[in-house]
Amino acid sequence: MAKIHAMMDIGKRSMMNSQTALQTVSHNIANKTTEGYSRQRVELQTAVPIVEGRHQLGMGSRAAAVTRTNNPFLEKQLQKETGQMGLQQGRESALTRVEQVFNEQMNKGLNQYMTDFFNSYRELSNNPESITTRTMVKEAGESVVKDFKRVDDQLLGIQKDVDERVRNETEEVNKLSREIAQLNEKIAEVEVQGIPANDQRDRRDVCLKKMNEKIDIHYAEGDQGAVTVTTAGNAILVSGFDNYELTTKENPETNRMDVYFKPNESTPPFRITDRIKGGTIGGGLNVRDQIIPDFKEKMDQLAYTFAEEINRAHVEGFDKLGRQGEFFFDMPTQVVGAARSLSVNEKIVNDVNRITAAAKPGAVGDNTVANVISQLQYKGIMDGNTTTMDDFYNSQVGRVGVLTQRAIKARESQDNVLQQLNTIRESISGVSLDEETTNMIEFQRAFDASARVIKTADEMFDTVLNLKRL
Amino acid sequence: MRVTDKMAFNQTTNNLSKNRSEMSELQNQAATQRRINKPSDDPAASARVLVSRTEERGSKQFIKNINQARSFLEYTDQSLSELTEALVRAKELAIQQANDAGASAETRRTVAAEVSQIHSQAVQIGNRKLADRYIFAGYKTTTAPFDPTGEYHGDDGDIRLQINKDAFVAMNLPGDQVFVGRGMGEDGLIRPSATVPKDTTDLLKHKAEEQQRQQRIEQMQTEPVQLRGPASVNGRADQTVSSRVKVEAAGVNVLQVLKDFEVALQTNDKEEIQAAIDNVDSAISQVVNARAQVGSRVSSLNAATDSLQKAIVDHKVTASQLEDADLYEVVSDMNKTDSTLKATLETSGKVMNLSLLDFLR
Repeated sequence: MAKIHAMMDIGKRSMMNSQTALQTVSHNIANKTTEGYSRQRVELQTAVPIVEGRHQLGMGSRAAAVTRTNNPFLEKQLQKETGQMGLQQGRESALTRVEQVFNEQMNKGLNQYMTDFFNSYRELSNNPESITTRTMVKEAGESVVKDFKRVDDQLLGIQKDVDERVRNETEEVNKLSREIAQLNEKIAEVEVQGIPANDQRDRRDVCLKKMNEKIDIHYAEGDQGAVTVTTAGNAILVSGFDNYELTTKENPETNRMDVYFKPNESTPPFRITDRIKGGTIGGGLNVRDQIIPDFKEKMDQLAYTFAEEINRAHVEGFDKLGRQGEFFFDMPTQVVGAARSLSVNEKIVNDVNRITAAAKPGAVGDNTVANVISQLQYKGIMDGNTTTMDDFYNSQVGRVGVLTQRAIKARESQDNVLQQLNTIRESISGVSLDEETTNMIEFQRAFDASARVIKTADEMFDTVLNLKRL
Repeated sequence: MRVTDKMAFNQTTNNLSKNRSEMSELQNQAATQRRINKPSDDPAASARVLVSRTEERGSKQFIKNINQARSFLEYTDQSLSELTEALVRAKELAIQQANDAGASAETRRTVAAEVSQIHSQAVQIGNRKLADRYIFAGYKTTTAPFDPTGEYHGDDGDIRLQINKDAFVAMNLPGDQVFVGRGMGEDGLIRPSATVPKDTTDLLKHKAEEQQRQQRIEQMQTEPVQLRGPASVNGRADQTVSSRVKVEAAGVNVLQVLKDFEVALQTNDKEEIQAAIDNVDSAISQVVNARAQVGSRVSSLNAATDSLQKAIVDHKVTASQLEDADLYEVVSDMNKTDSTLKATLETSGKVMNLSLLDFLR
């Protein structure tokens, strides 16, 4: 009789195991498209056997655990590469915009406006008596000024955009660190009972990946399966079940958005902006704080030298009415910000006769100074008198092109790396419908067969109970 | 390898987006006809394109300058040719009136009137204007260089135009040279420097030199060079021997020669009339020399135009080679990408539709 009982018991448990397995199958199918989901499977083990006389008898199976199929090292690598991807994306998206500022393939830019200016001075040299040519010089000068301003404005605009992005993404990092802290708690709660917290762990991996995409983080798993996350060296974002927030504030000195970390109530927040090296935030900051300021500096140098050299020659000349020349451009007070503050002298704007072309007074047809000024175009006056202004500017265009090209290439190759890793990850952890369908049939069959076992046992009971009546 | 559904889907999306972005890149190239649409497409080439374009624009401006200079010089040449004709007529008259056989005090007075006419014609030529500018006034292009007496009020400025990166050509002949004969040879006058100051430092040096030069000229004017003065009986004998040489070396004042000739005719001074033949001759050769100078400048301008035009074409070709798309290549690449895209779509459709579920009934 005991054996019939055992049969029924084994059948019942097997049916239950099949149900567990089928539920897991349906969980897998349902999460087929869930980001970062690792397929789960029920680990079936043989139940503890019993020894009867000289035999050991199996007692059926038991569902030992529901585990996820996941390679933690791969996940870690994936997270790291996602961080790289974020960095490259952040750089690329900002740099392609910087590139547009210097893009003269389609529309007029500084190169052409400066050429136009020198050519207008050549036109003046052709005909210094004419009001028309003088007006042309003034207009060309104003166009150059306007374009220097445009370049500076657009660069500033990109920096402002990066500011905005840094703010938004810092918020997202905070959201993620909050979620990670919560997940830490849940995982600990579940795993203290010795049960793997599959879904929470998957979700936490996704959160870490997303965080890494925004900012470079380091993390390690500690007690109770909780991860500690740090960024920018020593800013702890998540520790145990607690999280600490990053804040952003505009720096009144630079007018740029800075990222601060506030460890606790008593400590004042400290700035970590320049220690962020990765993720989209790091990429954006790199362009904002290193690349753009460098281009701005170059443009300032160019604008300053342009104004300085032209003024130097211009004041030596005499205007149409024989007056000693004045500055053509209002001289910027310093190199920094010259591109922004450059302007044509008000007096010249109001009276184009003030433009000088002659080297001696009272000689309207004298174009000596005009010739000197137009020759500045081909003169090495930049970079310690070695480079012409044209070359200087063109080399900046080349440089922004190289930087952007490299950023695009880096992003593309990172894209490939990531795709490959994702393929491997999906190959290991992804859900295959074919597989699940097969499993489904298999477990359904097992379920059916187990039911048959119970039925058989029941019939056997009947037989035993009817012995007397036989 | 275990292939899961997500792998297949990811692969499909990746491949499709790769094909599509390739396609859109090619489409963009075909639509703009350009290989380089932004600096990152080819950084080195895009910088070089800018160089070519600047050079091209510069060359175009130089051609404009040359055209301006040429019209000035051609007008100068035309004016000088009229002057030559007038002087030739004066010479004819001088030869006619030089001996007593065919001339008398009477005829000389009549001819004097004609010579006076020639003189004022010469003055008019000296005051020629192109548009609003007096062409023989040096830098003082807005005031008439000659007054009716033939006095020169312009200066000796050469208006130089840039005809190439490092070449300048003067587009005018100052009247003090052609007409007054100043600074033509060994009269000790220094013409302004033929080079254009290259930069501001040069400019300052140039200005200082100009000032020195001006001072020297003023000095010399207070102790004037012996030019041939008006007809006079005294001192003529000792001048006649050396005068020709001196005239040749120092240049002649064309208007003064005419004036002298007129005076000689009116005073019926036969010897002076005879001298006028030589003097007018010198004047003619001075003007002809000036015309030769103009001619050589024009021909150098023509040569410069040719080389600039070639340069423009060269720069255009360079820019085009660097930035223009090779349409054949683009189209053939497009066909390739198109068939890849189609293949991807077709296979994706097949792979994605395959499932065990379809076979279970």
